[in-house]
Amino acid sequence: MVLDDLGSSLRGTLDTLRGKSRISEEDVDEVVKEIQRSLLQADVDVSLVMDLSDSIKERSLDEEPPGGTSARDHVLRIVYEELVDLVGDSTTIPLEEQTIMLAGLQGSGKTTTAAKMAWWFSKKGLRPAVIQTDTFRPGAYDQAEQMAERAEVEFYGDPDSDDPVQIAREGLEATADADVHIVDTAGRHALEDDLIAEIEEIEETVDPDRSLLVLDAAIGQGAKDQAQQFDESIGIDGVAITKLDGTAKGGGALTAVDETGSTIAFLGTGETVQDIERFEPDSFISRLLGMGDLKQLTERVERAMEETQEDEDWDPEDLMKGEFTLHDMKKQMQAMDNMGPLDQVMDMIPGMGGGGLMDELPDDAMDVTQERMRNFEVVMDSMTEEEMANPRSIGASQVKRIAKGSGQPEDRVRELLDQHKMMAQTMKQFQGMGDGDMQRMMKQMQQQGGGGGGGGGGGFGGMF
Amino acid sequence: MFDGLKDKLSNFREDAEEVAEENAEELDDPEAAEEAEDAAASEADAAAGDDAVSDSPAAAASGGAQSGAAVDTASAEAAETDDSGDGDGGDGEEESSAGFVSRAASMARGRVVIDEEDLDGPLRDLEFALLESDVEMSVAEEILDQIRDDLVGEERKFTESTGALVEDALRDALLSVIDVGQFDFLETIAASEKPVTVVFTGVNGVGKTTSIAKVAEYLEQRGFSAVLANGDTYRAGANQQIQEHADNLGLKCISHEQGGDPTAVVYDAVEYAEANDIDVVLGDTAGRLHTSDDLMSQLEKLDRVVDPDLTIFVDEAVAGQDAVNRASEFDDASSIDGTILTMADADSQGGAAISVSHVTGKPILFLGTGQGYDDLQPFDPEELVDDLLADDDD
Repeated sequence: MVLDDLGSSLRGTLDTLRGKSRISEEDVDEVVKEIQRSLLQADVDVSLVMDLSDSIKERSLDEEPPGGTSARDHVLRIVYEELVDLVGDSTTIPLEEQTIMLAGLQGSGKTTTAAKMAWWFSKKGLRPAVIQTDTFRPGAYDQAEQMAERAEVEFYGDPDSDDPVQIAREGLEATADADVHIVDTAGRHALEDDLIAEIEEIEETVDPDRSLLVLDAAIGQGAKDQAQQFDESIGIDGVAITKLDGTAKGGGALTAVDETGSTIAFLGTGETVQDIERFEPDSFISRLLGMGDLKQLTERVERAMEETQEDEDWDPEDLMKGEFTLHDMKKQMQAMDNMGPLDQVMDMIPGMGGGGLMDELPDDAMDVTQERMRNFEVVMDSMTEEEMANPRSIGASQVKRIAKGSGQPEDRVRELLDQHKMMAQTMKQFQGMGDGDMQRMMKQMQQQGGGGGGGGGGGFGGMF
Repeated sequence: MFDGLKDKLSNFREDAEEVAEENAEELDDPEAAEEAEDAAASEADAAAGDDAVSDSPAAAASGGAQSGAAVDTASAEAAETDDSGDGDGGDGEEESSAGFVSRAASMARGRVVIDEEDLDGPLRDLEFALLESDVEMSVAEEILDQIRDDLVGEERKFTESTGALVEDALRDALLSVIDVGQFDFLETIAASEKPVTVVFTGVNGVGKTTSIAKVAEYLEQRGFSAVLANGDTYRAGANQQIQEHADNLGLKCISHEQGGDPTAVVYDAVEYAEANDIDVVLGDTAGRLHTSDDLMSQLEKLDRVVDPDLTIFVDEAVAGQDAVNRASEFDDASSIDGTILTMADADSQGGAAISVSHVTGKPILFLGTGQGYDDLQPFDPEELVDDLLADDDD
């Protein structure tokens, strides 16, 4: 896991500062070098990285750490402040009537983002409309129309027209009743002069309250030139980063906000219209540096729990009462899966991800664990209702049958039963706490530091 | 698309050459002096000394202009030492002037031992240059390691100039990561049993469908018939998009309803191709992030059931450090045979080309260079490296 390596090497360097109260120039040099590596691997622009690391170095040496602060915390705070300073707060998006125009490279995810933003506004009680002006890419109209349908928002487009400016003008008129107009445009890049001229024309006609640059999280050093050109042409007020559910860190967005003097507005984190989040500097920086972020994790946990709940009538709080069955365990595994790749989830838990438990695990431990969870599910699928509800009653002959039915070795079945027993035990401890609130559980886990035995993510501690 | 990298590489060459030249002086210096003393002690005569001096310009002339200066200086100093030795001693004349002969020979070749420390600065600059060009960090480090191994420590002899040493090291390092066994796409298509099934994979929005249309056009123009198969049964508008390309190009496109099984679509297209004597089936797939387990296992299934002749991974040239992650994840799910890099016209840095081919061990087959159907260029790594190292001043 390359990505975790970089987080852990930074943490490792910072750890060498632990316990030191004074900080030497060599110490700072080491830390700055690691920060450079982290940021460069996150695709932040090279010259921006150099500027940042210069001021981090300067401040680390010049500023006196406040009394009682360790050298490590001192440097970390400066790093954080400098980055927060750079990314700023989330772009202000007032909940009022407005027109927003989206621009960006081909395939950056503008059409999907348009629908997601419309969905977001509709959840805020506003009436949005998506206007599709991409007359170039085959299928663009159909895609936008279908996405708008999924978001259950108004849509305007004209598959027969080849004049985006005209569509934009007519679209604004046709959807005059809507509160928020989101104008989607065709993908283009900085060197396509005719297309840059075209978007300038669309911008003049639409006269948007804000123009957002849609950037793929995976974009590399080219982000700088692209952002610069779009800013020059239409003025960029905010950046939407897409495909953050992959492994790319989105450092290009940092470059873009620096280049355009704007901020980050939205984050795209999946393929459905609901997969949109407002930007939060803290979580984003955590991701850039590969360090934990508890807040985001709890949100994801709760959302995943909600999703699982929607599917079936299952309440995580039930875990806190009565017997912990294999049904519960399966639900939990699904909830974990809903949260995203295990290593990412783990990494968000301070003390558990990089720098904590995860660094002590072999590189492929997460894969193994995920593989194991899948195998467990397969085993469970071959169990009867009675066995699921009452796993303790499963005897040797049943193990044999289940193994045969699921195509898994008998050891795997026994492993699952052991795992269940361990988790049931952990659950009992939590029941003792008498509080099922997820957030509390996370906190509890954090306090336990390693979190190994603390029931990570609600009972999976024993698995790692 | 590699212009930025090209400039930066040439900076490295200048810096490294400087280091090499400096070291060439330092090494020749004491040794030459030593030999000169030997010679003096063994009563080298003035004529021998003259030989050395007159040899040197010849050596310099045969060497490149760059090393010329170094060798000149060295020989001039040697000559000086020689003179003083002569003046001091001037006794014993038994020994031959073999010392001078071998010294002259060594000068003609030139030798250099480069200290790792001296090269640290230029190498660090090169690292940043590679990163600035979107070469993935571990790949950049590998390039650096190789150059370091090549240049540092052991004594190197050069026949032309220290510059050639540096250039060779750089060329070898670049080629070793980027030249991973190129194969001719057309020849492979021609040699395979028809219909040839080619499946395209990649993350969302990198240009798979557009690339398929371009490859179809490329094949048609070269006498191969093609049928498109829309294995993207997920994305909104996917059917319409590929159908429109097919209409524009006058091709048949097989598609199922949204939500259908991509494997079945490609399978149907293969049957269609068999029945209608079509040479190539080009199968599209839905874009997916490599972190999506469900979709990645769908891809594994497609790979298993259809067993395509070629699997082509599509990514965009503007992708940054993450390009290697996804390339290797896709390679794991359904082993890829080659890559198409799109948006190479977007002023991209081109590092993705270097990283992706290195990490997958599979060649870049084409570059996508625009929005037209014929904006597809075959990729040749040697040509690229030659171009990267070409001296614009020449």
